[in-house]
Amino acid sequence: MMSEQPIIFNYAPFLIESGKIKEFAKALQLNNPVYLDEEVAKSAGYRGIPTPPTFTTVIDFWNDRSFYQLVSDFLKLTPNNVLHGEQAYEYYKAMVVGDTISAQVRLKDQFCKKGKNFFLLETVYKNQWNETVAIGRATIIEMLEVNS
Amino acid sequence: MIELPTIIKSPIAPIDLVKYSGASGDFNEIHTVPAVAQGQRLTGIIVHGMFVMGWAAAAIEEWFPKRQLKSFSVRFQAVTHPETVLVITGNLLAGNEGEILVEDREGHPKLVGTFVLQNKIL
Repeated sequence: MMSEQPIIFNYAPFLIESGKIKEFAKALQLNNPVYLDEEVAKSAGYRGIPTPPTFTTVIDFWNDRSFYQLVSDFLKLTPNNVLHGEQAYEYYKAMVVGDTISAQVRLKDQFCKKGKNFFLLETVYKNQWNETVAIGRATIIEMLEVNS
Repeated sequence: MIELPTIIKSPIAPIDLVKYSGASGDFNEIHTVPAVAQGQRLTGIIVHGMFVMGWAAAAIEEWFPKRQLKSFSVRFQAVTHPETVLVITGNLLAGNEGEILVEDREGHPKLVGTFVLQNKIL
């Protein structure tokens, strides 16, 4: 079954805009002024307003080729049936307003445990200079039965 | 090891999840539409895991305002429902490494994680 699927999923290139960072920061009640004010960001040593640590979610979801397509077309799952088990990031370079980020997902492993299906995904985020800015590693769990 | 100051957040309101859905683009209806959540055998809408991780990241920024993350890794322990008060605790271990725990006021863990800062502190 695995061999019939593409091994790689590409998100569409994503332009980082200041309004989106502001909205994301406000939704999470982030108080750090570097996310809101370019002058503050530059005096803190950034090229421009940087993205908060979990902003890659926005790149994954507000995308022309989005996480929903990753789940439904690439993993062949129902989006409402999946839970997020683990998430890890390695940060290499800042992503700032004006950068265009390309992201590529690889399915690293897939297994069944205790009646649940686990999918280990690795996403490499690169900027417009093809520099790796971050790597995300996610464990997605297909809920066959919910305990709550 | 240094114990970091405990951060107690305001109760999560359903509107917070609507805002986060819009901001993040994660429109999975189990986070905003009670009927859909119940259809998934949940007792009600649940908080996005990445919302909780976002608050955990904010806590690290509050503890270390001038520092940047080198890596950050979490495991989600249980679903979180609206009206939950999240309590965030952490420890700075040797060098630039720390651990973080997010739980409810009754002590049920929601997220456990580890992080590494770009520069050493200890």
